[in-house]
Amino acid sequence: MQFLQNNLLTLLIFLPTGGAVLTLLAKNRDAARWTALATTLVTLALSLVLLITFKTNFGAVQMVQEGDWIPAFNIKYKVGIDGLSLPLVLLSTFICALAAIASWNIEKMTRGYFALFLFLETGILGTFLAIDFFLFYVFFEVTLLPMYFLIGIWGGPRKEYAAIKFFLYTLVGSIALLIVLIGTHLYTKDAATGLGSFDLVKLPLLIKAAIANGSMSMDVVRWFFVLAMICFLIKVPAVPFHTWLPDAHVEAPTAMSMILAALLLKMGGYGIFRVAYPLFSDAGRELWMIVAFVGVLSILYGALCAMAQTDFKRLVAYSSVSHMGFVVLGAAMMTKTAANGALFMMIAHGITSAMLFFIVGVAYDRAHHREISRFGGLATTMPVYFGLSAIGIFANLGLPGLCGFIGEIMVLLGSFEAAKPGSILIQSGAASTRQIYPFAVSACLGVVLTAAYMLWTIQRVYFGPERAEYRGFKEVDSREQVVLWPLAVMALLLGILPTLFVFSYTDSTVETLFKLFR
Amino acid sequence: MNIVAAAIGRPYIPGWTDLGPFVAEGWLIVTVVGLLLAPFFARRRNLACFLVALAGLTAALISLLWVGVPAPGRAPLRGILIADSFALLWKAMLIVFTVGVLFLWRSTTASEMREGDGPEFFTLLIGATLGMSLMASTTNLLMIVMAVELASLPSYVLAGFRKTHRLGAEASLKYVLFGAGCSALMIYALTFLYGMYGTLDLGAIARQVQGGAHAHPALLTIAFFGLIAGVGFKIAAVPFHFWCPDVFEGASVEVTAFLSVASKGAGLVLLLRVLMTFADAMEYRAAQPLVALAYAVGILGAITATVGNTAAFAQNNIKRLLAYSSIAHAGYMMCAVSLLFNLNGHQTDAASGVNAPAQVLLFYLTVYLFMNLGAFAVAALVYRATGSEDISAFNGLVKRNPVLAHAMMACMISLIGLPPFAGFVAKLNLMLVLMNNGGGWWILVAVIAVNSIASAFYYFRVLRAIYLEPAGADQPAFAGHPLGVALAAGSGLALVLMLVLASPVSALTRHYARMQGIGGAAATPATKPVVTVSAAP
Repeated sequence: MQFLQNNLLTLLIFLPTGGAVLTLLAKNRDAARWTALATTLVTLALSLVLLITFKTNFGAVQMVQEGDWIPAFNIKYKVGIDGLSLPLVLLSTFICALAAIASWNIEKMTRGYFALFLFLETGILGTFLAIDFFLFYVFFEVTLLPMYFLIGIWGGPRKEYAAIKFFLYTLVGSIALLIVLIGTHLYTKDAATGLGSFDLVKLPLLIKAAIANGSMSMDVVRWFFVLAMICFLIKVPAVPFHTWLPDAHVEAPTAMSMILAALLLKMGGYGIFRVAYPLFSDAGRELWMIVAFVGVLSILYGALCAMAQTDFKRLVAYSSVSHMGFVVLGAAMMTKTAANGALFMMIAHGITSAMLFFIVGVAYDRAHHREISRFGGLATTMPVYFGLSAIGIFANLGLPGLCGFIGEIMVLLGSFEAAKPGSILIQSGAASTRQIYPFAVSACLGVVLTAAYMLWTIQRVYFGPERAEYRGFKEVDSREQVVLWPLAVMALLLGILPTLFVFSYTDSTVETLFKLFR
Repeated sequence: MNIVAAAIGRPYIPGWTDLGPFVAEGWLIVTVVGLLLAPFFARRRNLACFLVALAGLTAALISLLWVGVPAPGRAPLRGILIADSFALLWKAMLIVFTVGVLFLWRSTTASEMREGDGPEFFTLLIGATLGMSLMASTTNLLMIVMAVELASLPSYVLAGFRKTHRLGAEASLKYVLFGAGCSALMIYALTFLYGMYGTLDLGAIARQVQGGAHAHPALLTIAFFGLIAGVGFKIAAVPFHFWCPDVFEGASVEVTAFLSVASKGAGLVLLLRVLMTFADAMEYRAAQPLVALAYAVGILGAITATVGNTAAFAQNNIKRLLAYSSIAHAGYMMCAVSLLFNLNGHQTDAASGVNAPAQVLLFYLTVYLFMNLGAFAVAALVYRATGSEDISAFNGLVKRNPVLAHAMMACMISLIGLPPFAGFVAKLNLMLVLMNNGGGWWILVAVIAVNSIASAFYYFRVLRAIYLEPAGADQPAFAGHPLGVALAAGSGLALVLMLVLASPVSALTRHYARMQGIGGAAATPATKPVVTVSAAP
C-alpha cells in the first residue's frame, strides 16, 4: 500500500505504456481490444485512488515523487498533483476508458491502433502530472506522434492532410515553448550551482526574484509570456490559430475525436494555468486585453462558424473552439471565480464534447454521411439515441442543471467581477472597469449564439418527419450505450454537484495560484 | 650520410611515450597492410577483407580505450599530434561508426560486389578512417593538411566505387574536382599563416596573434577564409556543399552513410579544435579577430542549416534528402563551433577544463551518429528490396517490414529533434548553451528553432510514405538482411535509450570535452614549435 501511495502517479503515467506493449504482443484483434480496455480500466481505477489520497485543502502540489534525470541541467523526473491537475487526470482516465470502448469497431491494424492509443494516454497523463518543466514538455510533445498516426492511418478521406496540419501547427507552438523552456532555465540560474531551474513549483518565485533584482527585464517576461501563450493557444485552439482543429476532427476516427476534443485541447488550457500565467503573471496582467480579446473572439467567431457548418462533425468541432474560448477568457480575467470557471469549463467540455463526437459517430456509422441537411426525424427512428443526444446537446449549450452551464456562468461572473474595484486587473492599474465590460458583455452574447446553433441542430437532425431512408436504422446498441450513459450521468452530476466534483479540488489550488498573481 | 645528418641536425626518433597514445592509429595502419595481404591467403577475398577490417577496427577500439589519454602537460611527438580526451571520444565514436558501416556493407552491397574488389574497398575505407581520426588530433598546419588529404583522397575513390554506375562516376569526379579546389585554397591560405608567423603550430600562432604580432588583417582574413573553406568542404557547409547531394546519391549507401557522419564529424572536430585554440589564446574575449571568426562561423552555420533544410523539400531521392538533412545538421553543429567568445565568462571551465562547445558538439555527434546510421541502414535495405531510392519505395513499409518502419520513424523524429528520441536532448543541449552565451546567439537559437519546424515537412514525407501510403502491388513484404535489420533496430533503440539515459551520455561527453592545451587545469605549457626546416626569417 505504501509502495502504491509513493509511486501512484508514476504508475498511473506508465501503466498505459505497459498496456501498449502487451497490446502489441496480443495474438489477435480481440485480445488486443480487451488488453487495451483492461489497461484503461485499471488506469481509471488507479486514478480513483487519487480521490482518497488527495488532500483537498492542501493547495500546493502533493504526492510529489522526484528523482534526478539529467543533473547536468538540473532536469528532474518530478511528478505531483494538485487541484489543477486532479480533475483533468480523472477526466483523462475516464474518457480514455470510454474511448477504448468507442474504438471497438476498428478493424484496420487493430493492435497498432490500440498501442498508439495507450501511448497517447501516457502522454496525456504525463502532461497533467509533470511538475518539471522539461518533463512536461517531453510529455506534451509525446502526444503529437501517436495522434499524427491515429489520424493519418485510421482517419477519413483527407487524413494525410489533416494529420500533418495538426502536427505542424502544434509543432510551431512547441518550438515556441521550447524557447521559453530554455529561457526560463537560463534566467533562473542559481548563483551557487550555476544551474537554472525547471521546477514548475519554484519557477514562479525564481522568476519573480529575477525580475525584482533586474536580471530579467519586463520585455523578456513579455516575450516569454507571448511565446508560451502562442503554444497553448494553438493547442486550445483559439482563433486565429484554430484552423487545424476542424480538419483534424473531421478526419479523425470517432474515438480520436473524443480524445482530441476532451483531452488534447485541455492540455492547452492546462498549460495556460500551469505555465503561462504562474510563471509570467506580470506579463499576463499587462497583456490581459489581448488574451481576453482572443478569448472573446474565439467564443463568438467559433459560434458563428459552427452555425454556418453543414457537416455535423465540423459543427461540433467549431463549438469546441467557442467553448474553449471561455477557458481563455477565464484565464485572462484573473479572478478566482473566472479561473475556477475556466477549470470547470475544461472538465465540462471534456464530458460534453466527447459525448457529442460520439453521437456524431453513431449517426455516421449508420448513415455514412454527416450532412446535417440530409438528416431529419432521427428522434422518431431512434428515441433512445435522441434522448441521450439531447442530454449531450443541452449540456453543451449550457442548460442550467447540466455541466455546461456552471462553467460558462462562472467565467462570465468572474469577468464581471474583474471589472469591480479590488480585482487584480483593476488594482494593478492594468485595466479599467470600462475596458473590461465590453469583453464580459460580448462573451454573454456567445451563450446566446451557442443556444441558437445547438437548438437549430437538434431541430434539423432529430425533429421533423421520419425519413424513409433512415427508417431501417438500428437503435443505439449496448456498446454505444455503455459509452453514452456514463457521459450523460457525469454531465448531469457535474451540473448538479459542481463543488463536490470539481471546486472542492480546484479551490485551494486556485487560491495558491492567485497568491502568485498579486 | 654524415653530411645529410649534420644538415638536419640530430634526427628525431619518437619513442614509446610519444607513440603510445596513437596505438589505435597504428592498428589502423596495420589493418591496411593486412587488407592488402589478406587476398593472397583467402579464396573469398571480400569476406576475408571484411573480417580483417572488423578485427583491425576492434583492435583499434580496444587499444584506444586501453591506452587512454596521456597525463596533461605532455605533448607527444613534439606537439605535432595531440592526444586528449576530446580526440579520444571522437576516435571511439568514429571507429564504432565505421564498424556499423562495415555491417551495413555486409548486409547490402556485399552480395553484389565483384569478388576481388573487397581489398581495395576496405583499404580505402580504413585509410579514410585513419585520416579522419588524425584530423581530430592535431593543431599543426602541416598535419592538418596531411590528415584532411588522407581522409579525402580515399573518399573520392569510395564515392565512385559503384564502377558500373553512371552516377557513381559523376559523383566521384565532382567530388575530386571540388575537393581539389578547396584543398588548394586551404593549403594556399595556410602558407600565409606560416609565412606571417614562422611556425606551423597553431597554438603558437594564436599566442602571437594575441600578443599583437603585426599581421596584415587582409592576410589574416585570407588565411582564415582558406582554412574554413578547406574544413567547410569536409563538413559540406554552404557554400562548399555542392558536391554533397550528388556524391551522396551516386555513392553506394554504406559509403554515403560513412561520409555523412565520419567525414562531417571529423571536419567539425577539426574546426572546433582549431578555432578553440585561437579562442583560448585570446581568453574568449570579444576582440578581433575572434569576433569576426565567431560571426563568420555562426552565420555560415545558420545559412548552412537553412539552405540544407530548404533544399531538402524538393528531394524525391531518399539519399539526396538525407544529404540535405545532413547539411542542415552540420549547420546546427557549426553553430556550436561559433561559440568562440563568451560574454558571461570562459567557454572552458577553469577548474575542470571542460570546454562547453566541445561538449555540445560531442553530444550532438553521438546522437547524430545513430540517427544517420539507422536512417541509412533502412534506406539501404529498402533499396536492396526494391531497387529504388525514391521515397515512394518506402510506401507501406509498416506493413512490409514493421521493424524497419519503426526504426526509420525513430530516426526521422529524432532528426527533427522531438521527444521521445535523443535528437531532442542533443538539440536542447545545443540551444541551451547557445542561449546561455549571451550576446547575439539567441538569433542562432531562433534560426535552429525555425529550421526544426521546417525540417518536419520533409522528414514527414518519409513517414507519410511509410505509414500512410498503401504499398503498391509491386512492393511485397521483405525480410531484409538480419544484420542490417539489427543495425537499424539497434539505432532506433539507442535513440530512445539516449533520451532516457541522457544523464550518463551527457556526463560522458562532459568528461571528454577537454582539450590538450586549452584552458583549465589541463592546460599545457607552451609547446616548442616543431619545425625542423629552418624557420622563416
